[in-house]
Amino acid sequence: MPAIAANDLVVRLGRRDILRGVSLSLAPGERLAVVGPNGAGKTTLLRALAGLLRPRRGQISLRGGRGPDDPASRRGLGVLGHRPHLYPHLTARENLAFAARLHGVPEAAERVRTALRTVGLTADANRLVRDYSSGMQQRLGLGVALLPEPDVLLLDEPDASLDEAGVRDLPAMLDSLAPRAAVLFSTHDERVAHALGARVARLKAGRLTGAQHEPPLDQPQRTDTRPRSPGFARATWAMIAKDARVEWRAREQVPTLLLFTLLAAVVFDMAFIAVLGTQAASVAVGVLWTSVLLAATLGGTRLFATEYERGSLDGLLVAPIDPSSIYLAKFVALALETMFVGVAQLIFLSLLLNVSLFQALTVAAVVLAAAAISAVMALQSALVVSARAREMLMPLLAIPPAIPVLLAGVGITLGALEVTPAGQQGAWFGLLTVITVVFLSLGMVLYPHAART
Amino acid sequence: MSQVRTTELPSPSRLGAIRDPGSAALHAALLLSMGLAIFMAFVFAPAERVQADIYRLLFVHVPSAWLAFFAFGNVALGSVMYLVRGKSRWDRLAHASAEIGVLFTTLTIITGSIWGRSVWGVWWQWDPRLTTTLIMWFIYTSYLALRSYIDDPAARQRMASVLGVVGVVSVPIVWFSVEWWRSLHPTPSITNPGGGMPAEMLTTLLVSVAAFTVFYVVLLRQRIQLELAVSEVGRLYEQLHERREEAA
Repeated sequence: MPAIAANDLVVRLGRRDILRGVSLSLAPGERLAVVGPNGAGKTTLLRALAGLLRPRRGQISLRGGRGPDDPASRRGLGVLGHRPHLYPHLTARENLAFAARLHGVPEAAERVRTALRTVGLTADANRLVRDYSSGMQQRLGLGVALLPEPDVLLLDEPDASLDEAGVRDLPAMLDSLAPRAAVLFSTHDERVAHALGARVARLKAGRLTGAQHEPPLDQPQRTDTRPRSPGFARATWAMIAKDARVEWRAREQVPTLLLFTLLAAVVFDMAFIAVLGTQAASVAVGVLWTSVLLAATLGGTRLFATEYERGSLDGLLVAPIDPSSIYLAKFVALALETMFVGVAQLIFLSLLLNVSLFQALTVAAVVLAAAAISAVMALQSALVVSARAREMLMPLLAIPPAIPVLLAGVGITLGALEVTPAGQQGAWFGLLTVITVVFLSLGMVLYPHAART
Repeated sequence: MSQVRTTELPSPSRLGAIRDPGSAALHAALLLSMGLAIFMAFVFAPAERVQADIYRLLFVHVPSAWLAFFAFGNVALGSVMYLVRGKSRWDRLAHASAEIGVLFTTLTIITGSIWGRSVWGVWWQWDPRLTTTLIMWFIYTSYLALRSYIDDPAARQRMASVLGVVGVVSVPIVWFSVEWWRSLHPTPSITNPGGGMPAEMLTTLLVSVAAFTVFYVVLLRQRIQLELAVSEVGRLYEQLHERREEAA
């Protein structure tokens, strides 16, 4: 049974077929180097085999089973992308520990230590990756790919950015961390292919030659030693904790949103200064919900985009986890940010306008509305991630379906401040709950369809 | 450098689909039904006791709204089928329906606004039906915007399909808004048993709805055929490009 098999693979990007009927087969433990000029389709082939691109035609099978679309098939799959799947605001050790959690690696701490030692980064293990050179990042990327002791390994130019010593160490890294893996890698340098003892296949204008291997020898059936999938809840929690740690270090999202909402409060209050004496409560409610909605939109625009731009989203998508857990983790991150900003705005407006806006009812409204807005916006954020003019599209996509949340929030807070008769709060809370449940469910079902293109 | 002879290009087989034998019959049906609807709207249907002739906007306003709902339903159908089957024809149905739906929602809002000015004395009211219709218009406008800002066709089809499924949530909200919230907007005239609409008006309305539905089918076919032609031209350009590359 081949470890990797592809049959008549056609992958189209834009209007061009980048891969045109590629077939290949790798036995367990076999190594295949794909060489070819720039633009030949090497990265596209590796991304398709990793399940990051949907082929227009053809089949991919991992270990004789299903293709990489199936999370279970991605157990024991190691991938080094064109850009390593790393988080610059985490240390090397934290990056590896996060990858270990996503891949369900047993005895993770020991495995992380081994990986650090093998890729030669033990001394720099506690430095932030943003301070690494590109060669060190490449070594760490290799460490992440090799961490789950993969039996299928896909490496996009593993020798890129490495110094001579790094290239020399590559065979030892593979032998040590992934001794049984079928390895498919791209390179411009055939010497690397020979050093790794790999067959060479040539890719030119989307057509691959030399990739079919001889029928494999009968091999004894091995027991499945691949790590177990981490499970939905563990994977979600790992991503939430990672996002919280990244935000704590980078301090990009929350301070930006906080500053934005506070400035909005000041500007709006000044604009309505003529009516503040008589209608302070109405102004406060309007300012509160407008700024919460706009802040969530601002946060939503960056929710998936940051990971997409630095390539780490690919690292999540090749992990053996349900893609819905990625959506859920992003939803939680945005909801927490929006709640924090909303509650801060409640306090700020109470002080600034001298109205008793900070009440249990209004805090509950902000918490539930933040969840509802985030359920709407997390999915929209995933949809615009590869679009041009993302900053323009996100408000256009996300604000109209979030308007009912705004109306419900305004309804609850106006009632709480007795500007309008109280009594409809139950219905508004019900609306917020329905919106949260409907959009969260839609997002969980639909995100896997949007994640891979 | 060797020359590429355009005669070597394969014949544009799919363009054959554009020569549509059913098209003439459909256009004739449109002409007849629309002519009948216009005649009935202006001659057959009597003037309304309170609103006089301005109420005749009903025969454009209601069919436009119906068509918008129908079109957005087809956006959802095409989107779900594309996500399940992955065939481009379903995405073409969704895309064409979204364009038509936005067009007729715009017409619904404009005719409603003119009517509202006459009956309520204002061009716009933040009434539940009007507000939810405006939100629906924004949702499907953003669907079209999303399509035009994603360059890769496969990514465009997939992302738009996801949005096409989400967007349909707005349709029942618009429909039931007059029942869920207090609204100035009247409840549906056709499905409401106590609507009290005279038979001539109701018949004219039903004929108008039928005529607009034929109009939708004509527009849908035209739009899908145009999309096919655009794809075919793109494919031919790509083949020309490949031949040039090979020749070089």
